[in-house]
Amino acid sequence: MDSGSHLIVNDIEIMFGGQAGDGSLTTGDLIAGVFKRMGLEVYTYKDFPSRIRGGHTNYVIRAGRHPNYGMADFVDGLVAFDLEAVEAHIEEMRPGGFVIFDNTSETVPDHVKRPDVTWYEIPLAKIAKEDLGLELVRNTISLGVLGALIGMDPQIMRTDVTGVYKRKGDKVVDINMRAIQAGEDYVKAHFAEWPSGYALEAARDGERLLMMGNDAIGYASLVAGCRFIAGYPITPATDILEWMAKYGPKYGAVTIQAEDELAAITMTLGASFTGVRAMTATSGPGQALMTEAIGLAGVLEIPVVVVECARTGPSTGMPTKTEQSNLNHLVFSGHGEIPKIVISPGTVEDSFYLTALAFNLAEKYQMPVFVLTEQALCQSKATLPVLDLSRVKIDRGKLQTDPVVFGEYKRFAFTEDGVSPRVIPGVEGGMHLAPGSEHNELGVITENPKNRARMMEKRMGKMVSAKPDLPAPLVHGDKNARIAVIGYGANRGPIVEAQTRLAAAGTATKFLEMRTLWPFPEEEVRAFIEETDHVFVVENNFTGQLERLVRYVVGPLERMHSVLKYNGRPFRPIEVIEPIERFAAVRGLAGV
Amino acid sequence: MSTVMSPKDFATATPSWWCPGCGDFGVLSALKQAMAELGKTPKNVAFISGIGCSGKISGYLHSYAFHGVHGRALPVAQAVKLANRNLTVIAAGGDGDGYAIGAGHFLHAVRRNADITYIVMDNQTYGLTKGQSSPTSMTGYITGTSPQGNPDAPINGLAVALAAGGSFLARGFSAHPKLLVDLIKQAVEHKGFSLVEVMSPCVTYNKINTYAWFKENVAYVTENEHYDPTDKQQAFEALSREDKIPLGIIYREQRPTLETLMHLAEMPTVNAVLDPQAPELVALQEAYR
Repeated sequence: MDSGSHLIVNDIEIMFGGQAGDGSLTTGDLIAGVFKRMGLEVYTYKDFPSRIRGGHTNYVIRAGRHPNYGMADFVDGLVAFDLEAVEAHIEEMRPGGFVIFDNTSETVPDHVKRPDVTWYEIPLAKIAKEDLGLELVRNTISLGVLGALIGMDPQIMRTDVTGVYKRKGDKVVDINMRAIQAGEDYVKAHFAEWPSGYALEAARDGERLLMMGNDAIGYASLVAGCRFIAGYPITPATDILEWMAKYGPKYGAVTIQAEDELAAITMTLGASFTGVRAMTATSGPGQALMTEAIGLAGVLEIPVVVVECARTGPSTGMPTKTEQSNLNHLVFSGHGEIPKIVISPGTVEDSFYLTALAFNLAEKYQMPVFVLTEQALCQSKATLPVLDLSRVKIDRGKLQTDPVVFGEYKRFAFTEDGVSPRVIPGVEGGMHLAPGSEHNELGVITENPKNRARMMEKRMGKMVSAKPDLPAPLVHGDKNARIAVIGYGANRGPIVEAQTRLAAAGTATKFLEMRTLWPFPEEEVRAFIEETDHVFVVENNFTGQLERLVRYVVGPLERMHSVLKYNGRPFRPIEVIEPIERFAAVRGLAGV
Repeated sequence: MSTVMSPKDFATATPSWWCPGCGDFGVLSALKQAMAELGKTPKNVAFISGIGCSGKISGYLHSYAFHGVHGRALPVAQAVKLANRNLTVIAAGGDGDGYAIGAGHFLHAVRRNADITYIVMDNQTYGLTKGQSSPTSMTGYITGTSPQGNPDAPINGLAVALAAGGSFLARGFSAHPKLLVDLIKQAVEHKGFSLVEVMSPCVTYNKINTYAWFKENVAYVTENEHYDPTDKQQAFEALSREDKIPLGIIYREQRPTLETLMHLAEMPTVNAVLDPQAPELVALQEAYR
């Protein structure tokens, strides 16, 4: 095979496929770490079944010279521990890619064996068991095989593997070192004349991190002064509760596993009412249960940060898969009307800064703030620059800790910006009732119509007051382009990548990455759309929730097009490119 | 605080919404009396109530009062305590709030044993929605939703709490104010979760379990001079009585509180110093290099 002229350098997507519980998570993380320390930009995507052991699982690790916050169009290298993994993913392989297959107990049937990919069939389990005496290390052998085939730095690999296993003792480290060697030796002995067509060139690692979205959210919360989290375990949000449980106590942060989401959110309100920056993290089903209490937070003007890690719904849906189908729920759910803010980061780095900001927004405007993320981002790892904590400032708004005069002090005072000075228990003179019933400025329950109208105006007006502080949308690409894309969250990655490739093919596009979804940034979206001929709204749901929100403010426009995906998996760039190209070809748009 | 407090210090200017003769008046005045006798100050009392006639009580006690959503007083109250352990935290609500819609939270609050007090004002009916059966209504009780008689067996809240690991369980009667004040005081002073169930008759909708009926049917556990409230077996027996409703301190034990088991610092969580640039916080990212 002549690969010299087609050698792909520093641009690869590896998929680890096998049965859940067989260790592919650890191995996937190891590969991501080695790529990162070789100076490459990394993105990972977990495609796990919702069970502990068994069931097909795969872990995608993408590495490149430039940051890509999403998957590529195709898989370059598939490491398959069983036939099921091959059958499930052979169609996703790039022509010219390769498969490493464990043929200890299965063979690949001819009709599955695509001739346009290179096959490395190796009895991994057999080598592990017979040569090394431990079947468990077949993953590490595969690491040696992969490393030798694509040029992973053997020293970094050994250092990282040692790091992972050192707490299990020298024996475990030693057998894993021999496993790497066995993999490398096997490639030398059998495939020396059979290159993979891929290569990696190491560069300086630099001041960078490799972090998962949920870790960035947990970290940001602690940095931003959150000292209370209540949550109920739910995929894919549990990582945040666990992160705080692990790192919070040292800083005096309370982590409590509640009996359900009704308790989680009301506990969060209780802590915040008492003056502690508080949060909860959940996913769709839990979010549904929290709805009533979030209305209470709205009417009691209690700051609260709710992280929503969206997954595929409705009901149980597909708990470990991604979707953007909860936007309507966050924006429109609840009986009655309350002010609220919904912000959504597009990268792991943005997850950190937006979460930190959420605590300021919640306290400054005394309302619920949702940080909306999704499985494809919050459980994905990516490389990012070292985080700059000096960018995090704590602004507690009108928190009032000095004594006030009882009788004069009004917890729900009408003010210019709608925000009232907020006392907390323990403050002399500030005693009052905080009732979920409609109330007057003092907190006394009343059904007076004039008061009711004014209270509604006060509370809802805070959304207008908050606007200058809300994260602005980002415009990527050619600002003068007439073809436009709107999207948010994890879709930022595939959309920006699609833009680059469209531009290279002669189609200029601009992309509005929305980071504030509610209150809807009407002016920005209207201005963006005005200067376009066609707008493609890209989102992971069936009904086009974001597209409908856009139309809600700009009216029915013929230039609006929905690009939807709702199979539980994130977009690949080609899935953004194709509808735009196809449409452009039909309409005969210039430049395509 | 060395100031001598009076029940009036805990009064609010808000007029009560309760019907004349409602048992809840007795609970409120006993609570104010207990707070005064314990020397509490309103600014350091957090009073969390549920929804229903009884839930309105938070509007009548001068304090930091929180009148939230139906059934969720206990999660709020536990979090308030974890946020500021220097506060005296009291939750209150009715039998519906605590044993129906909030039953899940009730069990978990009992087993967590945070140092708070929970007062359940039991009138064996739903008052605010105009007289339906409640989780403590007697079987056969006729209401708008049970015209052929309530088919459900009543919940014995104290027995449930005893089984779930309750560390302070008492029952009072709103028409016995002095004894009720004493029960509430002991409950508040108890280190851990204290439950005070108060028989609090509804004069408007419950024509069965009236003041007169209670006077016939209650009996203090102390009437038995050998009663030992630290003996779980005796407590179960007392709560299993079918002839009388036992009153008094049914059971008490000292076991570690939630705050202790969570290793909460003595300094209240709310007083934590927040510094985003703390070197240790910055250093946390080293794990992600």
